Amino acid sequence: MQRILNMRPRAAQIWPYLFCIPFLLAYMMFHFFPTLYSFILSFYDWNGIMERSFVGVRNYIDLFTKDTMFLRSLKNTAILMGLSTPITVILGLFLANSLFHIGKGRMAYQTINFFPYITTPVAIGFIFSYMFDWQFGFINQIFIRVGLFGEPYFWLQDPWASRMIVVIMIVWRYLGYYMTLYLAALTALPQDVYEAAKVDGANRFIMFFRITVPLLRNMTIFLLLTSMIGGLQMFEEPLLLFSGWANMGNGAMGGPDNAVLTTVWKFYNDAFRLDSRLGYSSAIAYSLFAIIAAVSFLAYRIARRKGGTE
Amino acid sequence: MTQKRSWAPYIGLAIITVIMFIPLYTVFVMGTYYSEHIFRGGLPLWFSNYFLENLKVVLGNNFIQAYLNSLFVSVASVLLSVTASALMGFAIAKYNFKLKNFFFVFLMITMMIPNQITIIGFVREMRAFGMLGTLWPLVFVWIAHPFGAFFMTQFIRDSVPTEVMEAARIDGCSEPGIFFRIVLPFIRPALLTVALLVFLWSWNSFMIPLIVINRQALYTIPLMVSTLSTMFRTDYGAMMCALSISVLPIILVFCICSKNFVQGIANGAVKG
Repeated sequence: MQRILNMRPRAAQIWPYLFCIPFLLAYMMFHFFPTLYSFILSFYDWNGIMERSFVGVRNYIDLFTKDTMFLRSLKNTAILMGLSTPITVILGLFLANSLFHIGKGRMAYQTINFFPYITTPVAIGFIFSYMFDWQFGFINQIFIRVGLFGEPYFWLQDPWASRMIVVIMIVWRYLGYYMTLYLAALTALPQDVYEAAKVDGANRFIMFFRITVPLLRNMTIFLLLTSMIGGLQMFEEPLLLFSGWANMGNGAMGGPDNAVLTTVWKFYNDAFRLDSRLGYSSAIAYSLFAIIAAVSFLAYRIARRKGGTE
Repeated sequence: MTQKRSWAPYIGLAIITVIMFIPLYTVFVMGTYYSEHIFRGGLPLWFSNYFLENLKVVLGNNFIQAYLNSLFVSVASVLLSVTASALMGFAIAKYNFKLKNFFFVFLMITMMIPNQITIIGFVREMRAFGMLGTLWPLVFVWIAHPFGAFFMTQFIRDSVPTEVMEAARIDGCSEPGIFFRIVLPFIRPALLTVALLVFLWSWNSFMIPLIVINRQALYTIPLMVSTLSTMFRTDYGAMMCALSISVLPIILVFCICSKNFVQGIANGAVKG
């Protein structure tokens, strides 16, 4: 065996590197270098045209001490993420569990519930901007028909209503995906544990909370983490909610009182839309990255520690 | 025991599934109405007969061009990305070389880097390369996708038997020959999964085109969607029709490959 492996020692040494070249080259050119460039730029004041001037960490200091809009965008993002993540995870788990226990039609349910996840996010924003439109939207039409409202309600003019709509959008988009992943994890669980519990007289309710939930722990951690990382980068859905069906604020204002202006949206506005403060926006991007890294690390540590004491 | 199966889960699931389906359904229904008829009799619940007229209006607005642009971007991204990922995954999974572990850790770390920290540098770079007037920047960002390479590494490690590779080597097969003739046939499901994912991601990608593309001739479908309200103003029928044909291709692709797709995503999540 050893002789076979060493038959072409030189070739075996060179080929793996050659195989890695396309990927590494593309990574260096289109990811690594731009990332480094943005990092260096975050210490400069530059609008892309004039001469750049080195300002050290002042961009970062300004962001956290002077830029109330940035702080507000962080707060908005945290609210939107903090509401949508638990709802989606819990609902996804319940759905997967009921889907697991039905025999026929599992694939059909799964396929239909998966549609929102693959739908273009821009289109999702657009669809919801129509649904909650005060004049034409079918939510108002239904409420009026049922007699709940006397006159149409202007959802998108209310800060908290707007936030709730964004949360509903996120839940709508990801629910099928979470359900599918939970279902895959459920299918992989050992069934003999359930048989044993049944013999001991456990009912379905007890089995779900005592066996299923703890066994799905790793999947829950994975979903919570990815959902938090994704949630902190929310952008398209709120943007299109306010520039889709009815053009409100030309896609630069983050909803009523900037209630749904997310951090990435603020980054986009400062870098490309309202302004061209490339150095400053790079600092926004890196601050967000640091926050994402810190949050994921903390969440991971907490999840692991809890697992250890169980 | 199984006789006690109740109808509750069926009904609960059905209700949620209907709620999940309604938003998309209404878009497809409204796209078949004459704009002024949509809101006349309350909520449109069933299809009307104006779809072809709406479609004509939509296609008259450069939509075909946007389709072709999106198709070009997605197909090119898939081809380049899958090739680069499969080669990288093959090297890490089946060879012993000095930087092997380093590369693997590098993939894990880079999977966590969000694209907004890259994008300013990327746009400046594309400007310096003179690429801003083309669709290529939208392809470039997908070539080195860490998830693809990570997924390939895992899959090749688990499913390509090393003995078969050794046998081919003894028979005088070259290393690239091993890749093309032995490895590729074994990893067809993984190729399909990564291809589908990259297709989905690049098709739906919005932020990068929004920043990089500045001419309407180069608009991709998501950019087109984001300008619908200025394009059609009050022609809501055409707007909805445009929206439905924008999401239709991806839904069709998904329905055809549904099983593979769902399994691929689930496997990727379970392993990653």
